[in-house]
Amino acid sequence: MTKGKILVVGGGIAGLTAAEKLARACLEVVLAEKSSALGGRVARLHRYYPRLCPPRCGLEVLTGSIQSFSNVEIHLLSEVVEVKKTAPGLHTVTIFKQPDEELTLDVNGLIIATGADLYDASLIKEYGYGQLPGVITAMELESIFRPDGPTGGLPVHPATGGPLRRVAFIQCAGSRNKNHLPYCSGYCCTVTLKQVQYLHQSLKDIQAWIFYQDIRTPGSKEEYYRQVREEYRPVLIRGLPSGIDYRADTGDLTVRCVDTLSDKEVRGNFDLVVLATGMAPPDLPDFYRIERDSFGFPAGHLPCDPSELRRSGIWAAGCVQSPMDAEDSVKSALAAVAQCLVKLQQQPALYPRLDPRKCDRCGRCVKECPYGACILGSDGYPLVDPGDCRSCGICQGGCPLLCLNLPGQGGKRIEEVVDRVLSQENPTPPILLFLCGNDAYPAWKKLTDLIEDNSLQGIIPLVVPCIGAVNAAWINEALIGGLDGVMLAGCPDDQCHHSAGPPLTATRMENLKETLARMRLEPQRVQITAISMDDSLKLSGELQRFKKTLEKLGPNPFR
Amino acid sequence: MPPKVDQQKCDGCKGEKEALCEAICPGDLMYMKGDVPRADCRSPRDCWDCMSCVKVCPQGAIETRLPYQLGYYPAKLIPLMGSKRVSWTCISQDDKVERFNYKNRND
Repeated sequence: MTKGKILVVGGGIAGLTAAEKLARACLEVVLAEKSSALGGRVARLHRYYPRLCPPRCGLEVLTGSIQSFSNVEIHLLSEVVEVKKTAPGLHTVTIFKQPDEELTLDVNGLIIATGADLYDASLIKEYGYGQLPGVITAMELESIFRPDGPTGGLPVHPATGGPLRRVAFIQCAGSRNKNHLPYCSGYCCTVTLKQVQYLHQSLKDIQAWIFYQDIRTPGSKEEYYRQVREEYRPVLIRGLPSGIDYRADTGDLTVRCVDTLSDKEVRGNFDLVVLATGMAPPDLPDFYRIERDSFGFPAGHLPCDPSELRRSGIWAAGCVQSPMDAEDSVKSALAAVAQCLVKLQQQPALYPRLDPRKCDRCGRCVKECPYGACILGSDGYPLVDPGDCRSCGICQGGCPLLCLNLPGQGGKRIEEVVDRVLSQENPTPPILLFLCGNDAYPAWKKLTDLIEDNSLQGIIPLVVPCIGAVNAAWINEALIGGLDGVMLAGCPDDQCHHSAGPPLTATRMENLKETLARMRLEPQRVQITAISMDDSLKLSGELQRFKKTLEKLGPNPFR
Repeated sequence: MPPKVDQQKCDGCKGEKEALCEAICPGDLMYMKGDVPRADCRSPRDCWDCMSCVKVCPQGAIETRLPYQLGYYPAKLIPLMGSKRVSWTCISQDDKVERFNYKNRND
């Protein structure tokens, strides 16, 4: 049976789903929720789409199930304040529990399901949110139907209490706009369709207008879009409204918009204007040490491994990962649970071994490991968790004293090559070619199958797990040993499976080249190239060019 | 003569408590200077020109100036460390280049 303790941060739909599944899988689960109740934003929704069922139903099943397990600990009003990796595979977490309790626990992994805030609609000045009565957000429209909402559960105007007849929905409010959120949150179009549907179902005499840029309803939601459009006939205006005018005497809101399909200005009077706002990037504390993408969301490896963050033992689930609806939040929670279970039960991977006689405890391996798998133990020596390590070898590439090596992937191979070349009488100008095992090696393999003449003669290929695993000392060794040139074929920057490989290699080689130039050894003898899987011909071209350069430079002066 | 540190290449051993040059210097002359720590020699006159710091620096950021008894400017002596070999490049003041190559480990 799996043994382990997992902390789930956040008790929204994603956190609850993850906690329930982990508890079912017989793990010890700790659930920390910042607010005073479980359920998160889903608990404040009126209806789910597309079936218009109440979210309460699923939530009650989940919370009931969680509370029935004895292996789940729930902490409300609790916030994670510190996460530290203290031993291989073990995170020590400090939780502050209101009013004044501090809990410290050791866990084998964390699932972060803290969600994300909705974009602040008052930042969109032209729509007057917060100033004009009757301009509300989609989330506030949900609350109109709740018994504890501003209208006591009656579908009436939230400010005046008057009847609702004409409602406008403004899509992409603050989304897909470089002054606000540059991206599409993906769920707001379907939310508006859902709200049109339930307004029509509970109010007989109602007219809905939707101002949109594009209606984005991917997959089966397109069918839902068709259904709502045909059944309720909302007025669809393609354009982004330029502003809203308010008339105090009648209480009318006039939305001004240029219809981009007819190129005419359209004005409509409404009782209520609903802004379909997207989700802002999450506020993730630094102690998680999670790498973010350009929008501020945690970066997974797309598309192959979206839920795997570059921080071993930490997974993200729900809106903290990217803007998403309840259905996708559940999916992402299940993905995080799957990753978590795999991590706790997997076969240990190839991981680096330390020679403590040489190590001087400088900690560069800890700093450069892209996954946080390498930590300094209490004695100051690096410890690598076999379960966290993804065998990229970036630590061995950076180790100044060559004391950390992946078994079978270390510097011994280069020494053998150099010894072999030195022992030959008249060697052909040898070139050492390092190939990244993920991309460049398959490209090289294809090239050797294609080329039948001897144009690849004299090239000694060496496969490394990532180009970042190549230590600068190996290149020095090859050059001192008399090899004419060294070429490093890694991935293009944005395609590296370990993300850090090519940039680290580029810095290391830049430094080396500067030293070589000072030594009056031509820096052109070391070259980096970016090769992806299909680049066999590019690799061939680069090699031929490199050979020509080396011929011009003449033999290595160290030979 | 004192070691000269290339501030662009030195990365302060990525903020470690004791950088490699600090640890290896037999005279305890190297230290980390500045808010963004970069190596520096605290007492240039006390340097014995052992060049340990030059050899150990993973970034290749340190260069030592030769004392005038050995060679006038711009003479240079530059080591390059392989995994079991070490090479020395001597560039004399009249630009003559000589290279030496030794095995320094047998395993």
